[in-house]
Amino acid sequence: MWLALLIIHGLLAFLLLGAITHQVVSLWAPPHARRGNIFARFSAVPGAAYVNAIIVLYVVTAIVGGWIYTLYRISARLTLEQGQFWKTFGAFELKEHFIALGLALLPAYWYVWRTEEHTRTRLILTTLLAFIIWWGFIVGHLTNNIRGLAT
Amino acid sequence: MKASSRLAAFAATFAAAYAIIYVAAVEQNWALFTYHPATNTFAALTGAAPAGPSMYWYGWMSTAALGAGVIATAVSLLPEGLTRRIWPGLAWTVPLCAMAALAFLLKGYFLR
Repeated sequence: MWLALLIIHGLLAFLLLGAITHQVVSLWAPPHARRGNIFARFSAVPGAAYVNAIIVLYVVTAIVGGWIYTLYRISARLTLEQGQFWKTFGAFELKEHFIALGLALLPAYWYVWRTEEHTRTRLILTTLLAFIIWWGFIVGHLTNNIRGLAT
Repeated sequence: MKASSRLAAFAATFAAAYAIIYVAAVEQNWALFTYHPATNTFAALTGAAPAGPSMYWYGWMSTAALGAGVIATAVSLLPEGLTRRIWPGLAWTVPLCAMAALAFLLKGYFLR
């Protein structure tokens, strides 16, 4: 069951990463970017269309991650401590804190995307959320490489 | 318009209050409950584990969510003139500072 949950968590995180990256690039890329190149097409998405999907994916990914975290605490974490992988250990601790803080950003994130005002807040909140998601994805992947739950 | 102003005040205050309470909860271990994964049991507040480790993370998030929910609801019920003055940037400045504070608290792991 844990292996299935870990794979589901990874797939959900992958979908979330794609959605938030599209959205954040659509905000930062200049609107007059050259048409036709792959970057222009990547950024030419209607960012607002991703909001609800990102919120749902973030919450569901966090719930599945929070469930797996119970097994991590009694198995993989011991390996990190015994192997003295302190930087990975610290990065994973930060991941948990960042994910927790990101959950509380979601109401404000949802709100700023449904109004025409607050464009700067929308830009920064979306970028902050993207940073949290990228951090979570990379650190989770690195930690799993050191000691996966299924090994 | 009124509902929008209240919603904006709620969202910005919730993000800011949650971040502050969360950092305080981590630092002071104010967990609303504790989970013991080895025995699959819960304890109120920071109850000791019968065996194995204790997990406070869920309890810290609950403490922060509860506290922030109460504060943000109270703020959103203030008169519209006051809720309109709440800076929406609170929603990212305070959480960003909280992230920096948590990184500082954990710096020992990166300096070994």
